[in-house]
Amino acid sequence: MITIDEITIVRDGREIIYDYSEQIPAGSITAIVGPNGCGKSTLLAAIAGDIAPNKGTITIDDEHPILSPPAQLARIRAVAIQNQTYSLGFTVRQIIEMAGPSDEVMKALELTALADRLVTTLSGGESQRVSIATAIAQNTPVLLLDEPLSAQDVGSRKRIIELLQKLAESGITVVVVAHSDEAELTWADKVIKQFL
Amino acid sequence: MKRLAPALLLVVATLIAIYVGAAQIDNFWSALISPGSNEILWQIRIPRVTAALIVGASLALAGLLAQGVCNNALAEPSILGTTAGASLGTVLAVITGLAQVGSIGAIVCGAAGALAATSLTFKLANLRAHLSSFALIIVGIAVSAIFTAVVGLVSSMVSRADARSISFWNFGSLALITRENLVGISVTAVVGGIIAWRISPSLDRLSLGDATAFHLGIDVPRLRVVALVALSLLAGGAVSTVGSIAFIGLAAPHIARFIYGPAHRTLVIHTAIIGAFLVVVADTLSRSIAQPNELPIGLVTSLLGAPVLIALVSVKNNVWKTQ
Repeated sequence: MITIDEITIVRDGREIIYDYSEQIPAGSITAIVGPNGCGKSTLLAAIAGDIAPNKGTITIDDEHPILSPPAQLARIRAVAIQNQTYSLGFTVRQIIEMAGPSDEVMKALELTALADRLVTTLSGGESQRVSIATAIAQNTPVLLLDEPLSAQDVGSRKRIIELLQKLAESGITVVVVAHSDEAELTWADKVIKQFL
Repeated sequence: MKRLAPALLLVVATLIAIYVGAAQIDNFWSALISPGSNEILWQIRIPRVTAALIVGASLALAGLLAQGVCNNALAEPSILGTTAGASLGTVLAVITGLAQVGSIGAIVCGAAGALAATSLTFKLANLRAHLSSFALIIVGIAVSAIFTAVVGLVSSMVSRADARSISFWNFGSLALITRENLVGISVTAVVGGIIAWRISPSLDRLSLGDATAFHLGIDVPRLRVVALVALSLLAGGAVSTVGSIAFIGLAAPHIARFIYGPAHRTLVIHTAIIGAFLVVVADTLSRSIAQPNELPIGLVTSLLGAPVLIALVSVKNNVWKTQ
């Protein structure tokens, strides 16, 4: 369970999130939606422990992400950021194994054939799937994904959504920043669209 | 074979380096296995070649750490201000009479200068609370320029004899090495090498960017401090003993990466071997090409390392992607 309690986040003098509270149940998929610049990624970053709210608290079960040491936090939540870039020519397998075992997740995200390819040579969609696979391989109870479907074709989107649903059924709390119309979000158990 | 080739080349280059010199060594092989039997071999050649091995490995590892911790292909001790800081620390220690070139005291002062300059680069690059590779490189070049200018100023204010020895040492030379000098640089090389080995898996994760490294459990600021200390020890020890030797910190990690890939644990060993190889070969050439004169070793390392690096980049250029 993720508990967001009356948080306010100010960036560059602008209130991005104001006095916002929410509870995200365990074992569910929650989609955060909204127009560009509305603070979707900021909310995800605050849950991830990347930024501290100016006011209020966020807890994942009883842990405060912003107060937890990085190694401990990495056992609680995994994150796939938007536009992950790769500067060194590691293989797909090497990248995923920085987080955990790779075979199963590569199979689920159709990356097995690319296992020995250098990540610096992948297409945008393939690279995005490597980022998602790395987060899933971390095997944490909370999975935070920032626009994981933006570079995927229809078939890949469907397969990723099915995988996320399977993970949620197994008890993992999935939070996804999405750039979709609400009507398309039938796969999400909960949709957050107003946090100001 | 690919794994062992640089190590085998290093062994051959080391033996040639010990054999080649102004004076002929009689019964070379038997002298080599009888410690102390030949004064030139045991008092001059072997200490000098051992220093070349340690200095080469140290500068190469310092370059690997600089590139890893900045996540930037251009980073190396001379660009981050580390080399200039080590020079200033050592020069100040020497001209104030605190220590002699190559002594343990000079190494401590060199490492302290290296640490001060590199810390200053990181601090100034981080003023806007966000450490970018671009800011690091620009600020590092500026800090390096300031420290180098101060070394020049200090050198011009001391007596001519001191200035000549400082300037000779500042171009890089292994000519003044003694067996006693080796203790200090061995310690800095071993400590720096162990730290590099320990943090290498974290450097792999840091290549994915600060945010993703943090998400994978890395304490990024702490990792940078640890790497900075190791980098300063390695470069400070080497520079304070033999002066500035150009290009090794940049070339050796890239050559190793092109051959063995980007995983830092593998690179720690192979970068050290390639750095040691380049300096041993460069030193052998520098003292044998224009006998009885000795060329500055930095000239030879550049002439030797640059073509290899250019050739590797033109053959295989997807190991380090610049976006």
